[in-house]
Amino acid sequence: MNNLIEARKITKVYADGTVALRNVDFSVRPGEVMGLLGENGAGKTTLTKILSGLLSPTAGTILWKGRPVRFSSPREALLAGIGMVHQHFALVGPFSGVENIALGAEGGPLLAPVQIKRIRAKVEEIMKNTGLQAPLDVPVEDLPVGVQQRIEILKVLFREVELLILDEPTAVLTPQEVDELFVVLRNLANSGKSVVFITHKLREVLAVADRITVLRRGELVGVRNAKETSVEELAQLMVGREISAVRKREAPTLGPEVLRVQDLVVPGLGGELSVRGVSFSVHAGEIFGIAGIQGNGQTELVEALVGLRPWKGCVELNGQSLAGLGPGEIAALGLAHIPEDRHGMGLILDMSVAENSIAGRLSAFRGLFGRLCWSNIFRFAQELIERFSIQARGPRTPARSLSGGNQQKLIVGRELSKSPKLLIANQPTRGLDIAATQFIRELLLRLRDEGMAILLISADLDEIFELADRVAVMYRGTFTGILPAEELDREKVGLLMGGLTLEEARG
Amino acid sequence: MKILLDVLPVALRAMMPIILAAVGEIVSEWSGVVNIGLEGIMTLSAFIAGIGSWATGNPWIGVFAGLVTGALIGLIHGFISVRLRGNQVVSGIGINLLGMGAVGFGAWVLWGAKAPMLDQRFWIPGVFLFGVSLSPFVFITPALVALTWALLSRTALGLRIRAVGENPVAADVVGVKVEGLRLFAVVYGGALAGIAGAFLSLDWLHTVSPTLPAGRGFIALANVVFSKLNPFLALLGGFLFGYFDALAIQLASVAGFGGSVPYQFLRMIPYLVTLAVVSFAIGRARFPAALGQPYRRE
Amino acid sequence: MRSFLETIAALLFGILIGAVIMALWGRDPWASYAALFQGAWGNARALASTLSRSLPLVLTGLTFAVGVRAGLFNIGAQGQMLVGAVTALSVGLLALPPGIHLALALAFAGIAGMIWALPVALLKLLRGVSEVISTIMLNWVAHWLTLFLVVRKLSDPVRGERTFQVPLSMRFPVIQGELTWALVISLLASLFLYWFLWHHAKGYEIRASGLNPRAAKAAGISVPRSLLWAILLGGVCAAWAGAIQVLGRFPYAITSDLANLGNLGFDGIAVALIGRNHPLGVLAGAFFFGTLATGAARMGLRGIPIDMIQIVQGVIVVSMAAPEAFRMFRLRQRKGEK
Repeated sequence: MNNLIEARKITKVYADGTVALRNVDFSVRPGEVMGLLGENGAGKTTLTKILSGLLSPTAGTILWKGRPVRFSSPREALLAGIGMVHQHFALVGPFSGVENIALGAEGGPLLAPVQIKRIRAKVEEIMKNTGLQAPLDVPVEDLPVGVQQRIEILKVLFREVELLILDEPTAVLTPQEVDELFVVLRNLANSGKSVVFITHKLREVLAVADRITVLRRGELVGVRNAKETSVEELAQLMVGREISAVRKREAPTLGPEVLRVQDLVVPGLGGELSVRGVSFSVHAGEIFGIAGIQGNGQTELVEALVGLRPWKGCVELNGQSLAGLGPGEIAALGLAHIPEDRHGMGLILDMSVAENSIAGRLSAFRGLFGRLCWSNIFRFAQELIERFSIQARGPRTPARSLSGGNQQKLIVGRELSKSPKLLIANQPTRGLDIAATQFIRELLLRLRDEGMAILLISADLDEIFELADRVAVMYRGTFTGILPAEELDREKVGLLMGGLTLEEARG
Repeated sequence: MKILLDVLPVALRAMMPIILAAVGEIVSEWSGVVNIGLEGIMTLSAFIAGIGSWATGNPWIGVFAGLVTGALIGLIHGFISVRLRGNQVVSGIGINLLGMGAVGFGAWVLWGAKAPMLDQRFWIPGVFLFGVSLSPFVFITPALVALTWALLSRTALGLRIRAVGENPVAADVVGVKVEGLRLFAVVYGGALAGIAGAFLSLDWLHTVSPTLPAGRGFIALANVVFSKLNPFLALLGGFLFGYFDALAIQLASVAGFGGSVPYQFLRMIPYLVTLAVVSFAIGRARFPAALGQPYRRE
Repeated sequence: MRSFLETIAALLFGILIGAVIMALWGRDPWASYAALFQGAWGNARALASTLSRSLPLVLTGLTFAVGVRAGLFNIGAQGQMLVGAVTALSVGLLALPPGIHLALALAFAGIAGMIWALPVALLKLLRGVSEVISTIMLNWVAHWLTLFLVVRKLSDPVRGERTFQVPLSMRFPVIQGELTWALVISLLASLFLYWFLWHHAKGYEIRASGLNPRAAKAAGISVPRSLLWAILLGGVCAAWAGAIQVLGRFPYAITSDLANLGNLGFDGIAVALIGRNHPLGVLAGAFFFGTLATGAARMGLRGIPIDMIQIVQGVIVVSMAAPEAFRMFRLRQRKGEK
């Protein structure tokens, strides 16, 4: 059978020396759904960026329909028939759906009006053929994420691609929306188009793909037929070793209540409510997990708790109300925060490790007349480096030059040095390699055993299952349910994530 | 009071440069590039336009020379901002300095004096309508405004320009040339600012000097803010700002007023008004998300 | 190291363009530049003159530099400088013993600078007004206000082309030639701001606010307060630039066309950029421009107008806009900022 696209010995080395891909072979047949599996940093996105023209390979060839091609821009790849739907949508917010689709294919010379009518007609036909429905005249920034994704797919289909590449498309969908998407993808495959589906989710890739290619650390590890393989085999290929069983946890020894939240309401963008009345409490010695797909209010919830966003309701830390307090004051009361956005909120990348280590703790290093005591600061930073095994040349190293895992360790170390009563960890291992992820997860468990109260927010269900003692599932701004440890199973959580209530999920 | 009406003809002149420069900058900012060097462009193109008219005897050649000057400076700014991914504000500041220096130097070289008056033969001739002599710019300016509006909101080019300023990644992915469009937008903005400068020397103040625009380039920026990037609102805003500009000049020259309120305080009016407008204009505009940020394809 | 080389490159490029223009105009560029450096450094008197001209530039340079460190573009030094100059001069209307007179003049000038800078901060923090627009508007208002005061209220009855002269009790004592003890003010300001930004908690907060306001806020830093500090400190520096120009240089007055105050405020921007927005680097930048200014006077004797310096300045600034030079200082455009 002839391959639609074939990549041979693709190697990609970045300017700073990182080897993202090494001698990878990859091929897709017409009319098939190919899963591209791997963990963070395996090279999946890099490979598809090369196939779609966004990047050029350092070495290797690409054959499209049997002929060698070299794409120097996404436009060329698109013209050839390869379209990519990115993880972070490439949509222009204030434009409507049809305007986004029309962009770049307006149907005439630049100074002519955009052929909206003709474009709309064609899009509506595509929507009919594939079962994909989306409103075309609403500014896309006002649309929910799942619908935005459909506009993205329509955008690519409008350009009559033969190979559709989707990068982690289900990261932002509920289980039910995922099923709908899979139907659409199968329809596309049946009509002769090919789909490449990038993911790190094992069950999903088995559900939708015909074949699965597995990458690990930039190298090809194997290609399997979906019907002939299993979750365990894929996981082993993906990770490269036996997955250690989840650490057996004893039941937590609960201390006093540290955080009490009652009827918390947090406004979001444009007058809407991001958090619509949430109540829970976290005790010393337990990890309370909040699961849920990102975008359901978790970010705003955390911002409210740490004082970066106004809120209504009742929030008490060790009995003290946090109403009206700013981040500095709340931190002084014993709250530490590992933000989900390392670069935006966690660190000041252009400052050194030492300067970052004291952020939020200036008072401890302030001397007479407010002058900073640098000898103390350097000593403190060096301690952090050693205690948390941060790979850095020294306290003066700029934070920017640290790897993601080390940056996260720096943040964790800094926050813990505040001896907090409550630690809020928001997506603490996102984007980190295995070693750093293990380190942080074990650290969290150890802290919990030592009596700290931890609030864990994570979109990674494995992490939730491994760490949390109780789990709340957040959906559209409320908790659809709070599950104790005994009741935790993926199906129940999945249903709760999809919006069912606890009773409905229990059956 | 009668003087408030007497000001209108002058206001009609005063608004032109503020509108023209603002409308040009609107296009540039839609594409994501901010150019605070409008003042410098106006200074230099006023000078070149003056020379052009003086040398050829044809004021319209002067206007064209001003346009080209503005476009060229826009190109330089665009090259630095877009190609070299430089700091757009610093580049703009540099352009302002260059404009002042070049005109001071040039005027000295050519005339040995700083501010010669341009003889009437080199001015832009008026158009007679209903027995009144109007500047042709009364027609040119609204036409340019309408043209710009149509370009931005009705053509494929305008769609792409706005896309590039809001989300250049999205545009790049569908094959839209981000850099080319931004360069075009900045050059367009520079050209319009160049015309504004030509207007200053050939149709209104009839002189050249390193400080000819007297801050009008920055008032145009304030007009851009006021207009929320809508060319028609810039027309309205230009009239507002221009009115106060003219009022100050007229009040200062009227003997009675000049006596009771010192001349210098009257000259402050346009700047204070601009500050007030910018501070209290209702509602915050939504600016293109990528404004001021260079684009780098990874 | 790379950024240092880029700065040198920008300087050389500016000088080169100046040379090209002079050559095109029929003047010998190398002889002209030789005259420039000779005039600026040739002997002790020249050096004193160069240093003397550098002093106010250090201060206006600090204004811009501190602003950039906080993430702002404070181009209001010109107006703040004028206000400081005229305030310092006005203190001369009083009669006071020598040391106190000078100190009082500086104190009032500093306060005047802060007052003039305050609206910039308030408008930005309360109404989101871009400091680029507000500072320029205030510069022009200051220009006309100063003109009014100089021409109508403070002018010398005998010598109409300038204000009255500053009384001897208020002048900076001379060190040598044109150089006065105003040197101390500039040096102290530069050293203080260096120490402040890197060795004081408030300075740390200012730098954090400029580099990453979101992270700074999350760390409990009040970004608005940091901006306020930076703007006010800048106002004081610029005001002192005007003050030392009047109290430390001939004619110890303000001319009716404000010529002896020139473009000190705007020059500060280029000075700061060359000094890479570092309080100590500003010293080098100011010295470079002081050299140009003194040398230009010499070049003027060969028939080259001073505006040439502004062209060179403009080219240097435009060259310095190039990317790697400003990795640190990104323009922040929040939605809705005016």
